[in-house]
Amino acid sequence: MAIVSNYSQDEHQLIIQDLKNKFSWALWSRYIIAAFAIVLIYLGLISDAYMQYSLGLVTFLITYNIIAHIISLVKTKYSLWQITTLAIIFQVFDIISITVLIYITGWLDSPFWYLYLVLIVFSGFGMFSYYSFTVFLIAICSAVFYTGLLFSAYIGIFPLYGPSFNLTPNELLISINNKAVFTLASFFIFASTIYYFSKLLAEHRAELSRKNYELLKTMEEMKDIDRMKDEFVSTASHELRTPLSVARENMSLIKDGVIGDVNEQQKKLLSTSLTNVDRLSGILNNLLDLSKIESRSLDLFPQINDLGEMAKKAIELLQEKADHKKIKFELYCPQPVNTLVDPDQILRVFINLIDNAIKYTEKNGKITIGVESTDNKAIAYVSDNGKGIPKKDFSRIFVRFSRLSDFDEPAEKGSGLGLSICRGIVEMHHGKIWVESEFGKGSKFIFTLPKVGEKK
Amino acid sequence: MSEKKPHILVIEDDPDMVEAIKIRFEANNFDVSVALDGIEGLSKARTKNPDLIILDIMLPKLDGFKLCRMLKYDEKYKSIPIIMLTAKIQKSDVSRGKEVGADAYITKPFKSEELIEKVKEFLAKPA
Repeated sequence: MAIVSNYSQDEHQLIIQDLKNKFSWALWSRYIIAAFAIVLIYLGLISDAYMQYSLGLVTFLITYNIIAHIISLVKTKYSLWQITTLAIIFQVFDIISITVLIYITGWLDSPFWYLYLVLIVFSGFGMFSYYSFTVFLIAICSAVFYTGLLFSAYIGIFPLYGPSFNLTPNELLISINNKAVFTLASFFIFASTIYYFSKLLAEHRAELSRKNYELLKTMEEMKDIDRMKDEFVSTASHELRTPLSVARENMSLIKDGVIGDVNEQQKKLLSTSLTNVDRLSGILNNLLDLSKIESRSLDLFPQINDLGEMAKKAIELLQEKADHKKIKFELYCPQPVNTLVDPDQILRVFINLIDNAIKYTEKNGKITIGVESTDNKAIAYVSDNGKGIPKKDFSRIFVRFSRLSDFDEPAEKGSGLGLSICRGIVEMHHGKIWVESEFGKGSKFIFTLPKVGEKK
Repeated sequence: MSEKKPHILVIEDDPDMVEAIKIRFEANNFDVSVALDGIEGLSKARTKNPDLIILDIMLPKLDGFKLCRMLKYDEKYKSIPIIMLTAKIQKSDVSRGKEVGADAYITKPFKSEELIEKVKEFLAKPA
């Protein structure tokens, strides 16, 4: 049992479960063997001389199998050593009863000989895959047992049965000798082969189950961590949001003159405070979303959508802001480009990109939004004629909280999260996003998405 | 509505928030009742006969989703509009709010004009 103690508690359970399955398999196969024997007897394939022994043995097999069946029904919980002992006892019984059955029904000419082989093979691969050495031992034991039976018959301790019934003593001796050598040799080769293969199998299986178990465990842990992180982020954002909303509401109460008169300067200060509170809550929302995007736990609700429509919607939403700076939009969208995406999220990508473009474009500038498609991709871009982005910042700008070092326009504050959210969303849709820019001449943000539903 | 002031029940556990909402609505010519936990909110909703309820989700004793469901599945009270006002902004929470029968879902921090507009909108509808 030393080998067993290497396994953990869960693996014990696995082994027990495995053996229990093998038991029920063995139970039914024994019934089948008994039925097979009855059919043989019924068909007259077994001569009358040893009919009574055959019947006795079949009866024994059935009785013992019924007892085993009852045991397995009554006792459903086993410890490892109990089930192992049971398995060995049953196996020994099986082999003894079938060895005797073969002996009685005609040695190697007996039809049960093949059953016997099948039983050993299956027990090797099935019942004892964890204890293949036992199979080896059992095969050897039964070979010795069978040879012993033959010799005891020759000496006269035991009656001799089978086709060799009418041989002279000399012929009998040769026959027994031959049979014994043949039996021992074939058993030995057989047992060794099975031992070797079942050992290999057992090792593989143990290794696999161990790895499987470790993987499952790691997965559970990861899930736990993920859940905790999600919970933490959502609780933290909730805790931050509540006081923020009180502050906002109170400020706006004062500003709106509900409490008493406010002068213009006070109003202006409160206005600024309110704008900043709103900015703060915007950052909070973005942070929450970003954490979900990064842990890939943002729920997407993909539908087939025209990318151009989403671009139009984003332009409509930001029209007012652009009018403020007298920036003109130009939409280039020659034909519908269908994609399977979450429209809310991709709209957000457009809004973020266009909003950025508005921020970094001078008054009277121009922003071009385009939607095109190639054979297998949908391409969208937002380009402006603003300041552009130096090459060294190309990859940095998609990292959260990073903003361009060369920009210092106090009026255009962003959270530094917009582009990383864009990247996250596009990547979750199996797309790519990048920037092309020449410093001083404007920049162009491009993203691709997989395309669907296009006529060829 | 022109003679009687509309009556609003605010169920919210943060006293500062309650105070702010109360001042805002009273200034806009509403009657305001206040409940600081779920159980109190439920009994006030049943006894004070409010025209509209503003409901937080994270409440002591009885959470907002449950409270909302208890009112919305009760023939007697299901006509009272319920606006959920909460810091929970996840899609799953919003859809759960809809599931339990909330008429609107507003997330904190909210703009008070928005809230008042929503409230007026519901009160203008024929019951």
